[in-house]
Amino acid sequence: MTKGMSPVTDVTSDPFWEGVRAGRLMIQRCPVTGKHQWYPRAHSIHAVGASPEWVEASGHGTIFSFTTIQRGMSAFETPYTCVLVMLEEGVLVLSRLEAEPGADIRVGMPVEVFFGTVAGTPDLPLFRIREERP
Amino acid sequence: MECIAGALDDAGIALSEVDGLCVAASDWAEGGGVSSLTEFAEYAGITPTFFDSTDVGGCSYIVHAGHAAAAITAGLADVVVISYAACPRWWPLDTPSFDPFVLPAGPGQFELPYGPTLISTYAMFAQRHMGLYGTTSEQLAKVAVTFRQHAANNPHARFTAPITIDDVLASTPIASPLRKLDCCVVTDGGGAIVMTSAERAKDCRRRPVHLSGYGSAAARTQLSQIAHDLSTPATISGPRAFAMAGIGHDDIDVAQIYDAFTITPMLALEDLGFCGRGESGGFVDDGHLTLGGRLPTNTDGGGLSSNHPGKRGIFTLIEGVRQLRGEGPGLQVPDAEVALVHGLGGTFCAAATAILTV
Repeated sequence: MTKGMSPVTDVTSDPFWEGVRAGRLMIQRCPVTGKHQWYPRAHSIHAVGASPEWVEASGHGTIFSFTTIQRGMSAFETPYTCVLVMLEEGVLVLSRLEAEPGADIRVGMPVEVFFGTVAGTPDLPLFRIREERP
Repeated sequence: MECIAGALDDAGIALSEVDGLCVAASDWAEGGGVSSLTEFAEYAGITPTFFDSTDVGGCSYIVHAGHAAAAITAGLADVVVISYAACPRWWPLDTPSFDPFVLPAGPGQFELPYGPTLISTYAMFAQRHMGLYGTTSEQLAKVAVTFRQHAANNPHARFTAPITIDDVLASTPIASPLRKLDCCVVTDGGGAIVMTSAERAKDCRRRPVHLSGYGSAAARTQLSQIAHDLSTPATISGPRAFAMAGIGHDDIDVAQIYDAFTITPMLALEDLGFCGRGESGGFVDDGHLTLGGRLPTNTDGGGLSSNHPGKRGIFTLIEGVRQLRGEGPGLQVPDAEVALVHGLGGTFCAAATAILTV
């Protein structure tokens, strides 16, 4: 029996989690510079003093890095693959990569978001390899 | 206390002279928590007027050395003890995860639910390094093999038997691409350093080692905030330490570089400028981390072979001092006069660099 770690949400992150429940990956953008930021904050890291706005990300990105965890914390069934995704918007997010055991995973591969649970959590953004369409 | 008494005896300074205390003991096996400083003072029977419990992870004790030097220079203290001890092997209570992020709240709410382990965060750096620069598992393994060679003669080292690159590659996968022998050992242990002014040190029992340069930087916690080129705060702490000491890379005779995992010192070599970005695999391959190379490193066997109770920074300082005294218990670099001591905190979240000279 495994027990996951459900996120403790707050007023700053509520719009993100509302987005997840609606199947949308929401990130923040600076109204001054137009640059995106992740994770959610009450201020823009690109122009302190400006309030970031919420925008929907495309959900597409590439694998910045990944690791398949064989020995880990008791809360999670091994093996599983954590992934750092470079979103098209230029920010890094940590997530899980859902892939077949033994799948060929490489840095730089295209991925896309989907939503699902990890060990009993509410829905979270997860990623899978994005098939190149002809 | 055994460590403090030993260090004071080595210096020839009485406990009653100690008016500064630095400890960082927030982790479970260190047993101190938020009141570690006052508990420690109480246990030792001293009442320091300068104290610092800055805790940014493994390099905290190098940070303390920098802060102690500043405090002594500013007249806040005359004799500062920096101390560390932890018992992760002995610890009798349920052992919490090694994960550095405790709660899935605040920024952690976006990462912890996915189950990143401490080792996996280093693995992310290693995998990216391999993907970007073609670094190989064999090159990572060479780091472990080299430091094991250095541990061979160290009677205090956890492991001394030689290992091969094949041994590392055949060891248990933990978090790809890191395997068991890419990871530091887990030991109980402790250490202490006594710092005072150069003037006071003239009358000490032993020839003093000088802290000639120091730099630090604290940058981030979450994995999502790592620099896209994998550079770490060492790119800031290193140049500051070199500039303060007024020396260059070629002046360094020996280095102690925190090696929690094989990838750890490799990134430090790049960040500190001993090789170019992405070139640490070749640097290691060419044998530069041992005698005859450009930078004999972790001469006691490091965290990968000698000891690692949790925050190894104090031991990098101690081995740096031993090298300059010609007393390295593992590999001794002949006539070493300048040592670089470098550590990171968390998963490349903070960094501290010190230059030691005689």
